[in-house]
Amino acid sequence: MAQHQAPVGIVANPASGRDVRRLVARASAFPVSEKCHMITRLLAALAATGVTRVLAMPDRGGITERLRRAIATQGPHDGWPQVEFVEMPIEDGPADTLRAVELMVAAGVAAIVVLGGDGTHRLAASACGETPIMALSTGTNNVFPEIREATIAGIATGLVATGRVDATRASRRNKVLRVEVDGQQTDLAVVDAAISNHRWIGSKALWHPELLSQLFVTFAESDALGLSSIAGLLCPVSRRAAHGLRIDLLPPERAAVTLKAPIAPGLMASVGIAGVCEIRPSEPQSIHSGSGVIALDGEREIEFRPQQRVAIRLGLDGPLTIDTEEVMTQAARDGLLVSRHA
Amino acid sequence: MQLSRADLLKAYRTMKMIREFEERLHIEFAAGEVPGFVHLYAGEEAVATGVCMHLDDRDKITSTHRGHGHCLAKGCDVDGMMAEIFGKTNGLCAGKGGSMHIADLSKGMLGANGIVGGGPPLACGAALAAKKLGTGGVAVSFVGDGGANQGTTLESLNLAAIWSLPCIFVIENNGYAESTSCKYAGACHDFADRASGFNMPGVTVDGHDFFAVHEVTGEAVRRARMGNGPTLIECKVNRYYGHFEGDAQTYRARDEVKTIRETRDCIANFEKKATSSGMLAASELQETSREVLAQIDDAVAKAKAAARPGAADLLTHVYVSY
Ligand SMILES: Cc1ncc(C[n+]2csc(CCOP(=O)(O)OP(=O)(O)O)c2C)c(N)n1
Ligand SMILES: [Mg+2]
Repeated sequence: MAQHQAPVGIVANPASGRDVRRLVARASAFPVSEKCHMITRLLAALAATGVTRVLAMPDRGGITERLRRAIATQGPHDGWPQVEFVEMPIEDGPADTLRAVELMVAAGVAAIVVLGGDGTHRLAASACGETPIMALSTGTNNVFPEIREATIAGIATGLVATGRVDATRASRRNKVLRVEVDGQQTDLAVVDAAISNHRWIGSKALWHPELLSQLFVTFAESDALGLSSIAGLLCPVSRRAAHGLRIDLLPPERAAVTLKAPIAPGLMASVGIAGVCEIRPSEPQSIHSGSGVIALDGEREIEFRPQQRVAIRLGLDGPLTIDTEEVMTQAARDGLLVSRHA
Repeated sequence: MQLSRADLLKAYRTMKMIREFEERLHIEFAAGEVPGFVHLYAGEEAVATGVCMHLDDRDKITSTHRGHGHCLAKGCDVDGMMAEIFGKTNGLCAGKGGSMHIADLSKGMLGANGIVGGGPPLACGAALAAKKLGTGGVAVSFVGDGGANQGTTLESLNLAAIWSLPCIFVIENNGYAESTSCKYAGACHDFADRASGFNMPGVTVDGHDFFAVHEVTGEAVRRARMGNGPTLIECKVNRYYGHFEGDAQTYRARDEVKTIRETRDCIANFEKKATSSGMLAASELQETSREVLAQIDDAVAKAKAAARPGAADLLTHVYVSY
């Protein structure tokens, strides 16, 4: 194995998994201690694949502190990679994820493991460039990252980082939705962008489907949870398809067609459907409501006002994510974890 | 639930009133005019305001040693509070309580509290009364991050859960208990993480954001009024001044407060949002600010002019007849 092997990045959002959906829906809590356990399992697996260095995002939400303690007390045979925390100011907010990913990319990491919800992955996606992401779910109603055992994610990431699998087949390209306000690109979504008649960002989550007027999705699976389930139950779109979907919505009492959709954990909502159409990268979608809020990947992020021009555009050039199943299939086929002893 | 123009103006007036009240006390305390200890709430206004906007006369709150904001948001009289803090006979408690013991039962304000963690058991009692009497009222307990580590708070969370009380625990996590960082003092970094251990929903919210606090608390109050039990809400927030007036704050980074004031101030952000949405005009905000400042000048003047309790007051207010 090369001496100057590139490190692996780990970004764990301490704040994911404790928003208002625990109150207005039946979302489960995801404590910091569990996130830290996931990271230690990742470290064990990365070590086994030969990764020697890890760059981690520092935080004040408890992960860094717990991780330092876990590293200091690891067993003599654990042999975890050396963990360095990226040097950066900590703001206790979304800017931390963006900055950490940028700095990791600049430091030449081979891959970045992201632990968080759709919102965390949205941030990582806007800063990761061509560095592949291992997307792990710790959030609320996640569609983009997978709910997956961190040990397996660690093996797959390690095999990619150490160059032992066919990189082009081991990762897949994702789509994004780019939001333009007054002609300027302001933000992006990896799963869905929704236009709501809320006036304020407030506590961010969306649980009033009657306020939604439009929904855009990059992909929609029929077994998904969250807003993209609305699209997934009407007209599924795969992650690989070269198009997305736009759904025009109405309050259910005014609609000829209504759909029952699982828009949050334990929250089945009736939504009125006015129309469904495919969207393509070449066609920017302009938003016609006077004012409201744009929710990206399930969280209200942008308040817009009548004088502003808002458009949403599908991009086929989103982030690369590691395809765990594909990597593990290659690992089995090529015996990557097999050693033969005479 | 969409906020009306009147709601927004009311929220602004309350936040501004708390801020100017505290800024003025900061000055008056330094001038030696205020007896006893004063713990200022500046920086945390969006929490008390966002929470108390949902409460009415049926509802009770319990407060802390940092209680001025809670009192004002629950509707305590500005003159009466100022006079109380100055220790004067026209104060809400006849000048015998001071900053840390302001109470006004007629407003459902069950008292500031010098005992850290003293409020939650009282809130359980008030919530139990509301439940038994069927008033539809709720009780809100404001607790600091330090108070949240007291046994009284943990017992109250348990009690509120087993009796399914209409009780809301608002943990104002401002990062410190006196000079002790909550990162050091708490085995759990996020208090919301504790809620599941007590079988109730726990939510973390940005305590600088009035709109976020207001929305989350609205849901918790609704849940409590419907008989669905307690909620824990952790508001991440910052205090602008020391633990008490006179605290040298050597445990804080030099620019910690300056940066927060510049970037996350709850009132500045509220002003920006309310005006850019077209809901309120800048002139309305300025007018409100002027009125608030005039009211505070007036309250301070009245407080200074009033008498202190004398020997004859020594034995009054000792017992209460029920
Ligand atoms: C039972 C009790 N123990 C200790 C104290 C001393 N004391 C006063 S305030 C305080 C810190 C409280 O911190 P926190 O609950 O975080 O509230 P904050 O001051 O930050 O608003 C302490 C320890 C007290 N008043 N009561
Ligand atoms: Mg505190």
